[in-house]
Amino acid sequence: MSHPRHQLDEVIHSPVRFAIAALLAAAEKAEFGYVRDTVEITDSALSKQVATLEKAGYVKVTKGYVGKRPRTWLSLTRAGRTAFDVHCAALRAIADTSRTPETA
Amino acid sequence: MTERADAAAALARAASLRAEVHRTSRWYMRYLLVYGVAAFVTTLLVGMLPGAAGVGVAMGLWAAVIGGLSVYAARQRVSRRGFARRHGGIIGVWAALYGVVLAVGATEYPGDLAWWLPGAALVALPALAGAYPEARR
Repeated sequence: MSHPRHQLDEVIHSPVRFAIAALLAAAEKAEFGYVRDTVEITDSALSKQVATLEKAGYVKVTKGYVGKRPRTWLSLTRAGRTAFDVHCAALRAIADTSRTPETA
Repeated sequence: MTERADAAAALARAASLRAEVHRTSRWYMRYLLVYGVAAFVTTLLVGMLPGAAGVGVAMGLWAAVIGGLSVYAARQRVSRRGFARRHGGIIGVWAALYGVVLAVGATEYPGDLAWWLPGAALVALPALAGAYPEARR
C-alpha cells in the first residue's frame, strides 16, 4: 500500500470532477455558468458531478440573486480543499516516479 | 497512456484551470484602481473644499463610485482564492488611514494642501498597492 496511487481520492479521480475541483481550488467561489463554460460540460452534467462532490462534502452550493437574476455559486469546502491537495500530492508523486518497473 | 503520463496530464490541467481563474479574477485589479483614485479625490475634496459643500460633494461622489463598484463586483463570475480576506484587509487599512488623515486634518490643517495632498495619497495607497500584485498574477 506504499504506492502513491493509494492516496488518490476516488471522488476527485474522475477527470471531470478533478477539473471542477481544480478550478474551485483556485477560487474563493465561482458561478455555476463559469464552471460549466470553463470545464466545457453541459448544465446537466455539471449538476450531476456537483451533486456527487456535494454528497462527499467537498463542494458547497450557494444560491442567490444578482438583481433579479438567480445565480448559483460553487466553492470548495475545507474538506474538499484538503482532499484535492492530498490528491494532487499523490499525482505529483506518481508523475515523479522513476521509470523503473513497478512491483504490483 | 501510462499512469505517470496520466498524472502529469491531470496536474497540467489543474495548472491551466488555476491560470484561467487568476486571469478571470483580474477584474479585482480594476476595482482597486478605481477605488484608490476615488479615495484620493474624495479625501482631497473633503480637505480642500470649505464647509458642508466639500463634504457633500465628496460623499456624493464616494457613494456613486462605491455603488458602481458594488454592482461591478456582484456581476463577476469568479473571485480567486483568498479574495475575501485580502479585500477585508485592504478596506481595513484604508478605513484606518482615512480616519487618521480626516481627524487630524479637520482639526489641525483645514484647507492646507500640504497636509491633504499627501494625506489623500496615503489614503489611496492601500487600494493602489493592492492592485499591483493583482496585475502581476
